[in-house]
Amino acid sequence: MLSRLVFLAGSLKSSGPIGAGLVQASRSLQTSSQSLAPVPPLPEYGGKVRHGLIPEELFQLLYPKTGVTGPYMLGTGLLVYLLSKEIYIINHETIAAITIGTIIVYGVKKFGPSVAAFADKLNEDKMAKAQEAKDVAMSSLTQAIENEKKEQWRVEGRAMLFDAKRNNVAMLLETNYRERLHMVTNEVKRRLDYQIALQHLNRRMQQEHMINWVEKNVIGSITPQQEKESIAKCIADLKVLAKTTQAKAAA
Amino acid sequence: MAGRRAALKAIDWLAFAERVPPNQRGMFNALKTRTDAISAKLASLPETPAAIDWSYYRSAVAKAGMVDEFEKKFKALQIPEPVDTQTSNINAQEAEANKSAVAYIEASKARVATYEQELEKFKNMIPFDQMTIDDLNEAFPETKLDKVKYPYWPHKPIANL
Repeated sequence: MLSRLVFLAGSLKSSGPIGAGLVQASRSLQTSSQSLAPVPPLPEYGGKVRHGLIPEELFQLLYPKTGVTGPYMLGTGLLVYLLSKEIYIINHETIAAITIGTIIVYGVKKFGPSVAAFADKLNEDKMAKAQEAKDVAMSSLTQAIENEKKEQWRVEGRAMLFDAKRNNVAMLLETNYRERLHMVTNEVKRRLDYQIALQHLNRRMQQEHMINWVEKNVIGSITPQQEKESIAKCIADLKVLAKTTQAKAAA
Repeated sequence: MAGRRAALKAIDWLAFAERVPPNQRGMFNALKTRTDAISAKLASLPETPAAIDWSYYRSAVAKAGMVDEFEKKFKALQIPEPVDTQTSNINAQEAEANKSAVAYIEASKARVATYEQELEKFKNMIPFDQMTIDDLNEAFPETKLDKVKYPYWPHKPIANL
């Protein structure tokens, strides 16, 4: 009974005994008959009650015959009957029950929701943590699968490395071969050029030597007699020249 | 002269660079610089050397027969091609790399299979708010409380609370 009070005042999400009782009934029904589908989730809220005590089904039951006020009249009649026939006797316990009941109802109505919210929050936190762990695990798994696939793709490119290496080797060989060709040509050319340069040098030295020798001989062959004669001749020539110039100047 | 040179395979360096994993990037850069240096050197050398003008030399050089002798010997000269010692090594390396690559891919595929299995398990789990403690213990065996080892509540060492 108290649990029904709590149901109405608060809004606990986990099912209480009534709800569990209903579902357990349905579960046992399921196991006895063919249990095909997975068991449906437990209902969130228990059966509806009015005034925290009386299930709604009673009101629905009496509505067609007695209308809206039917169950209330039934209740009032029952209460009056119990009191007048003294089936229920009013004594000290009654007063105690009434006061304690009032206080309890007041307390639950006032603090019920906040306590319920607190309890729900605890549960929510647990679930959120679990959900987070699950999400993290799933994302890391997908990431790992991605990475593995990427690595496989990378490995496929291994042929390129060896192609590059072989290319390098081929290029080196080709370079070497060309260098050898060039070297041969250059060496032959150098030798031929050397010969030509040698020839030129020889010729030049011969020419110079000959010129020097001719000069020396010519100068040596000029005897003193010839020298005097040539000087006399020069003076005579100069005199003639002077005379002609004087004549030209006078004329 | 053209027959001896094996044709150089065109390498797509961009695609190659994409496939290099980050921890081997240094080696890749070194390879690329080396290759660039070698190809630059190759490009700087002309394919055939400049031809020697034999007629000029024949007229210029006085020594009889020297030029003719040179010309004859030069034309008869066969320059040996350099011997290729490394290609077989490279081929052997490639075969080995292929083998290890196949093994790696096999292992990788096995790993992917396990990951996908676990992913399936996670995907097919019922949502947490519909689970009971028994369902939770089934899905995550590590949450199961060992009631034999720790018979008294809370069934786990207090430090692990």
